[in-house]
Amino acid sequence: MADDFPPMTSIKRWLVTTNHKDVGILYLVTAMFFLLFGGILALLFRVQLWSSGYSILSDSGFNQSVSMHGLLMVFWFLSPIASGFANYLVPLQIGAKDLAFPRLNALSYWLYLFSGILIGISFFQGGTFAGGWTMYAPLNVPMYTPAIEATTGGNATILALTMFVVSITLGTVNFLTTIHRSRAEGMGLWNMPLFTWSWLLTVWMMLFAFAALLAALLLLATDRILLTQYFATDQGSSLLWAHIFWFFGHPEVYIVFFPALGIMFETFQTFTGRRLVGRKWVIIAMVLVAVQSFLVWMHHMFLTTINLEIKTLFMATTIGISLPFDLMVFALIYTMVKGRVRFTTPFLFSLGALVLFILGGITGVFLGAVVLDYEFRGTYWVVAHFHYVMVSGVTALVAGLYYWWPKISGKMYNETLGKIHFAVYFVGFNLLYFPMFLAWDTPRRVFHYQEGMEIWHQMATVGAFVFGFSFLIMFYTFGKSLVSGPDAPDNPWEFARTAEWAIPSPPPLENWPGRPSYRSGHLEFVDDAAEAAAATDGGTATGTDLARADHGHGHELDTHEHEEEHADHASIWPLGIGLGVFVLFVGLGGMTSSVAALIESLDPAYAEAAGLDGEFSYLYSGITLLGLAILTYVLFQFGLEEFNAPEMAIAERWPFENVGNTKLGVWIFLASDVVVFGAAIGAYVFMRIYAGWHTWGPVPDHTWAGLLNTYILLTSSFTVILALVMAERGNKKGLLATLGATLVLGLTFMGVKTWEWSDKFAQEDFWFSGIEYSLYYVTTGLHGLHVLLGLFLASFMIFRIVTIDAYLEDSRPVEFFGLYWHFVDIVWVILFPLFYLM
Amino acid sequence: MPLQTRAEVFEQIFIIFLGLGTLVGIIVVSYTLYNAYKYRDSEGPTDDEDVPTLGELPTGGKGGKKLFVSFGLSAIIVLGLVLWTYTWLIYVETGPEGDNPGEDALEVDVEGQAFSWTFAYENGVETSSADQGMVVPEDTAIWVNVTSTDVWHAFGIPEQRVKADAIPGESDVTWFATDPLEEGDGDQVVYEDGIECFELCGAGHSNMKSDITVMEEEAFEEWLAEEEAAMEEEEEEDEAEDDANGDEDDDANDEGGDA
Repeated sequence: MADDFPPMTSIKRWLVTTNHKDVGILYLVTAMFFLLFGGILALLFRVQLWSSGYSILSDSGFNQSVSMHGLLMVFWFLSPIASGFANYLVPLQIGAKDLAFPRLNALSYWLYLFSGILIGISFFQGGTFAGGWTMYAPLNVPMYTPAIEATTGGNATILALTMFVVSITLGTVNFLTTIHRSRAEGMGLWNMPLFTWSWLLTVWMMLFAFAALLAALLLLATDRILLTQYFATDQGSSLLWAHIFWFFGHPEVYIVFFPALGIMFETFQTFTGRRLVGRKWVIIAMVLVAVQSFLVWMHHMFLTTINLEIKTLFMATTIGISLPFDLMVFALIYTMVKGRVRFTTPFLFSLGALVLFILGGITGVFLGAVVLDYEFRGTYWVVAHFHYVMVSGVTALVAGLYYWWPKISGKMYNETLGKIHFAVYFVGFNLLYFPMFLAWDTPRRVFHYQEGMEIWHQMATVGAFVFGFSFLIMFYTFGKSLVSGPDAPDNPWEFARTAEWAIPSPPPLENWPGRPSYRSGHLEFVDDAAEAAAATDGGTATGTDLARADHGHGHELDTHEHEEEHADHASIWPLGIGLGVFVLFVGLGGMTSSVAALIESLDPAYAEAAGLDGEFSYLYSGITLLGLAILTYVLFQFGLEEFNAPEMAIAERWPFENVGNTKLGVWIFLASDVVVFGAAIGAYVFMRIYAGWHTWGPVPDHTWAGLLNTYILLTSSFTVILALVMAERGNKKGLLATLGATLVLGLTFMGVKTWEWSDKFAQEDFWFSGIEYSLYYVTTGLHGLHVLLGLFLASFMIFRIVTIDAYLEDSRPVEFFGLYWHFVDIVWVILFPLFYLM
Repeated sequence: MPLQTRAEVFEQIFIIFLGLGTLVGIIVVSYTLYNAYKYRDSEGPTDDEDVPTLGELPTGGKGGKKLFVSFGLSAIIVLGLVLWTYTWLIYVETGPEGDNPGEDALEVDVEGQAFSWTFAYENGVETSSADQGMVVPEDTAIWVNVTSTDVWHAFGIPEQRVKADAIPGESDVTWFATDPLEEGDGDQVVYEDGIECFELCGAGHSNMKSDITVMEEEAFEEWLAEEEAAMEEEEEEDEAEDDANGDEDDDANDEGGDA
């Protein structure tokens, strides 16, 4: 209810809000917290590095610090702060009122926040994950953790990351749908502002890259909790992890850098008073990078026994992907030519970011030469290089903070303080990272280093504190601005072009005084009602031109439109779902010991050989059950809630004009799920080829059972199609019968599966008995979970039909369910031959 | 062609990259800052061209030609450099004497385990980071076959510019070549902690180091023979013990073999 939507001063507002600007602020603030968290960890180990072997942390404490510094900065700071900007600004830049799925957006945020809390807790569960942010196998599985009891903290880390990835995936579905379907009239894809462009490509990369990571994390989580063997063997496990991780990991580099690049494009144009040189080529270059980013991952693995041909190929793709960045850098430089450069704080940070990126890029070329890479692998050269690149990105993100601060807060900040911040920041940055190039022979993640390196490491440590201090100046500047800064005008920057500067600072809840449109080539706010009236009068259409726009008047328009279509802005259930997943994951993280106890009773001989010794944990089992209960309740409530997020009536939607928002969302989600299954099936194929394909036969004994299940699922696909037909005809009984049949068929599938598994268990072939068994149980289990989720959805739908005659007037949800169900069936059609026949 | 060590190959390439990189870096950064300064806002009249306005649909600015010239130049430098290093890559991949270990090469099996290194020589002699570490002859190509018995390590000798990942179940083969000892070195040079682990492998990672000793050819042969004799002696003792104890004490036998 927008009418009783609490004000920004109320805490309740921040718990229930689904508005993109609120969620953006939540993201920005939370990301800053994790910047401090990761930064303090970095200061800890920089102190330890003051001299070789100096020790303020335990050995494991040092490893935990470097690992969590990496994880927190890459995942919990960089992407979320960019996400914060995107939440706030992308809808404004494209002329939308909100994201396509506001509740889903709030859910993304809460999953992010709770995943961060879970990381915090992991430090107190016998130590957090200590195997590096790359989590290389097999160090990442419990057999290399001192005791089963001590795995809980590491499990919590992996689960927190899994939760974070789910949050990202929901966010990508949301942004892709929004950007593709909610652009203001007249704004084609080519016309989008560059920050929006960079974010569009970021989320496209995220969609596929994070799906691969999700698969890797799910497999790792089953290894750590259920004690399967994916990453525990010496038969390909290490390489399997490296391949999946870097398939995600390299696009991730661009995922964290692109938003920063987008901010540089925006600020350079504004503060030079010039349009971007070669804009079209810059966009093409970015698209090329986004595509090619999935084809360079093995350059992280040049020393892992891959052959010369593949090395050559990946050397070529690596060099290839550096060239578009050359173009972007020169485009930025030439944009300044003949401009009116104003050295405001955001411009200084952007210019600083460009300079640092040039240095990061040049040192990256060294790594592209394989012979040099051999020697740089695992050294501070790599550390220095990627910090120059990634923290140059941070520099641009700080530029973004200053650039949009007046818009978001409605207050101006003090330029002098901002410039002092930049000076300290820039000195601190270079004092911190440049000496790392000079100390490059030091191996990464060690605190015993060669004599003679000490001076460089001490400089870096001093630099780290200067750099850290500069952020205190920033917080002070922003704090002072909030308390006593002068009010910001709509547009404090001369030559700003994008739409967010055409509305008040901060913008009103519904953003626009009328419907934004670019049909004349220039932003104007259209009063559709007046236009319709004028058209019937035979008069010309009236648009409120920007120059004449009166914001008092705009507000009236706003409320006027409000009566036409009411949009909701509040829901508590996203927070609830975040909490439910959080409790569930806290519980699951502590289950390793219980599973070990279970294995001891199932297969004492195996347990003894593997050295398993666990006790059943009532505490964590209880928490797990509690989490499941909460989750069931909140998901049910989420499903029941009426929440209206109107689609824009008039919008640019290329290339998805003929698909509804939700349907497009489902398609995009399924695309990411394809990658999840692709990675899981890929893992199976990889491990089996590694072992020699015919080393194992099919694990299941009864081919007919698999065949029967194939028929059952195919039949259920047919009943779902019938259900849609029934819903379209408004035939309630028919709809109930067909959905009921689907449910029964799905349950039969699960029944056959249960029988198969128990039959295998009776023969003492368990999921932990060997890699071939792990592959079978986990891959088909992942599919089984999808079936189970489908059954919950079907039950919920039947419940809605019985209680409120749902879907008879609007059959689309049945169609969406059908899409999901067909997808699950298709996956089975692929799994059946792979696991039963080959 | 005289035998080029890995260190020499690396230094050559690195120096060129460093020189060119510094030059390009200075030029590009100076040009950037020069432009920023030259075109600073001077409060002058702004009538020379159309300036961006609020709410316009974005278009590109002028100056595309320059952009492509600079881009082309930088592409040529990067491509040229990397292609040039490719010939060196082939050299490093195939080895100093053509394909694979030559007649005079020494082959050593290196095994990483948390948190030490073991070195096995062709005659069955084994040393480890716990005792004298790796021992190699001067002026020789040494081929290492690197693997791991537990987690992922990375074997590296910074002095020799050689590195290989030690991955369980994989064997990573590479080589390095020692220089002749110099006058005054005596018959051996010991590089303390000259071998380091370059992949995070657990709590002891930071200290997973080993000494490496480069010996005079003859001294090395002698050392290897001595070690072999000592090893055989031990084995005989073990056998004798085994005969005395019967077959029951397998564990003791294993321990004896490792010592």
